[in-house]
Amino acid sequence: MNDYDVIIIGAGCGGLSSGALLSNQGRKVLVIEQSEQVGGCCSTFEKQGYKIDIGASIIEFPQVIDLCFKRMGTSFYDEVDLIPVDPTFSAILHDGSKITYPISLEETRKQIEKISPKDAKGWEEYSKKIQGFLDAALEGFFVSPAGNLTDVIKLFAKTPALLKYNRLFFSSYEGIMRKYFKNEKILESFSFHSFYAGLPPALLPGHFAMLPYAEHAGIYYSKGGMIGIPRGLQKCGERSNMEVRLNTLVKKILIKNKRVKGVMLDDGTEITTNLVISNINAKKMYFEMVGEEHLPWLAKLGLRSYAYSIASPMLYLCLDYEPPLTEHHTLMTRPMDKTNDYWNSHYLKGSFPKEQFGILSWTTKSDPSLAPEGHHIIAVTLAPGAYHLTGTTWDKEKPVLKEKIIHYLADTHLPGLKDHVVLSELSTPVDFEKRLRSPEGAIYALRQDLPHSMMFRPSAKSRHIKGLYLVGASTHPGGGVPTVIASGMIVADLIEKYEQ
Amino acid sequence: MKTVTIIIALIILLFLIYLCQPKSRKMFILNLLTQVKYLIPRYFT
Ligand SMILES: Cc1cc2nc3c(=O)[nH]c(=O)nc-3n(C[C@H](O)[C@H](O)[C@H](O)COP(=O)(O)OP(=O)(O)OC[C@H]3O[C@@H](n4cnc5c(N)ncnc54)[C@H](O)[C@@H]3O)c2cc1C
Repeated sequence: MNDYDVIIIGAGCGGLSSGALLSNQGRKVLVIEQSEQVGGCCSTFEKQGYKIDIGASIIEFPQVIDLCFKRMGTSFYDEVDLIPVDPTFSAILHDGSKITYPISLEETRKQIEKISPKDAKGWEEYSKKIQGFLDAALEGFFVSPAGNLTDVIKLFAKTPALLKYNRLFFSSYEGIMRKYFKNEKILESFSFHSFYAGLPPALLPGHFAMLPYAEHAGIYYSKGGMIGIPRGLQKCGERSNMEVRLNTLVKKILIKNKRVKGVMLDDGTEITTNLVISNINAKKMYFEMVGEEHLPWLAKLGLRSYAYSIASPMLYLCLDYEPPLTEHHTLMTRPMDKTNDYWNSHYLKGSFPKEQFGILSWTTKSDPSLAPEGHHIIAVTLAPGAYHLTGTTWDKEKPVLKEKIIHYLADTHLPGLKDHVVLSELSTPVDFEKRLRSPEGAIYALRQDLPHSMMFRPSAKSRHIKGLYLVGASTHPGGGVPTVIASGMIVADLIEKYEQ
Repeated sequence: MKTVTIIIALIILLFLIYLCQPKSRKMFILNLLTQVKYLIPRYFT
């Protein structure tokens, strides 16, 4: 008799969604989390009365998340107190001009028309194309396994409409955006979105061109901080007796005759089960928790070849004034070609400049209760920062860099900032690695280009260890809160199918 | 011999097409090409 039917390593949104679904199926589930709270990258910590989001700052694709809650007989909107975000975002372009996109497609078209009438037509065509793709993708691509060729063939057979959109998969994000938009200002306003999936516009596969459009189906912030979303999943799981154990580190996955037998904790305690779901980075899990001795040489070669996704340094600012911003999300952008150049000349070379682009997430704009009265919080997602800096380290650079970036922001987008910072914290890729044990601080586990996608990403059902499953950003469909929740649905379906 | 000539001609043609692409498309193609060798091992992960 095993201690649990299923043990899940990591209480990220992927781990919690699979755990909640499986406990709803009647299985005895234990979720083990090394940190002091649930949510992983989609979480919120408290400091001196401020509630600060660690990573994720909004969600898109609420339909996908709702699908998961619906399977448990409830809804996303009933379980999580959601605040709609409208306008979707403002972009401050490199020349200082600003474009704001309301949630309404028509109002957005009008905004674009003011800058470029030709691109307003492009917006209509782009919207039509992406809506068609999303209709097909939401039924198949997001919620079906893609662990091998048969899965992928089945996926396209289930939703043949996806085939109509094959060009999206074989072009870049930039290629698709340039097809519909010609004006450089409009293009620049959409340039940072490619980093929502972790790559510059030239490298990101074209189907991610859905990102700016998808925001118009609704983007939301969770009242009390982004931790509200994983807590909603936790609540649903706990109603059917799912257990969550915090501050507990899993050290090893116990394996005998190529079959999962349980897990071993940091303190040597063993907990038995026949099913383990890993919500942590797949490369790390296979090499450190499973062990090379259990893997065939080809799999080891494949795992070694994976590149970690970008790391994203974050600057958390707690302020005693209302910042001169207008939206929940303000993007500080660069032209597309300069964004690609940043990748080649800074990110890949291990340098991190003080001139920044990225996202200013003014969370207290949506939920003032996150800070003491009259105070505000901005979480700044900075440009991608390489884990290995050339000639220096993040720990050495951190204090100086923090000051430099605050000065830069005060001189550019946030005048008056310097006199109003009550609390500030720079979270570097190294800090992120320590906090969430995410190797190299990777925010989407592995890269998200085509050679790291679908059947070329680690399979949700392990090919080599019976009873081992993967959920979260490491497996299809990849990083992002809705997509890891979709992976939770995929893994729950696989377990229902194969592990009776 | 004829087949080899055709293959070489094709490679040269593809290379010339590649050279005519804009910088960002070159980046996209190069990224795919440099990872082709990993696709089979990755399939087995
Ligand atoms: C800076 C940043 C900004 C982002 N912005 C957005 C956004 O605005 N919108 C959006 O949709 N997505 C965003 N994302 C992406 C999104 O947050 C993540 O892709 C998603 O939350 C990842 O979920 P996950 O389930 O894969 O695992 P994670 O969130 O990575 O959780 C894994 C969990 O496993 C735990 N763990 C690790 N090792 C062990 C161990 N040995 N034992 C026990 N527990 C362990 C970790 O502590 C962690 O809690 C952002 C991410 C970051 C980092």
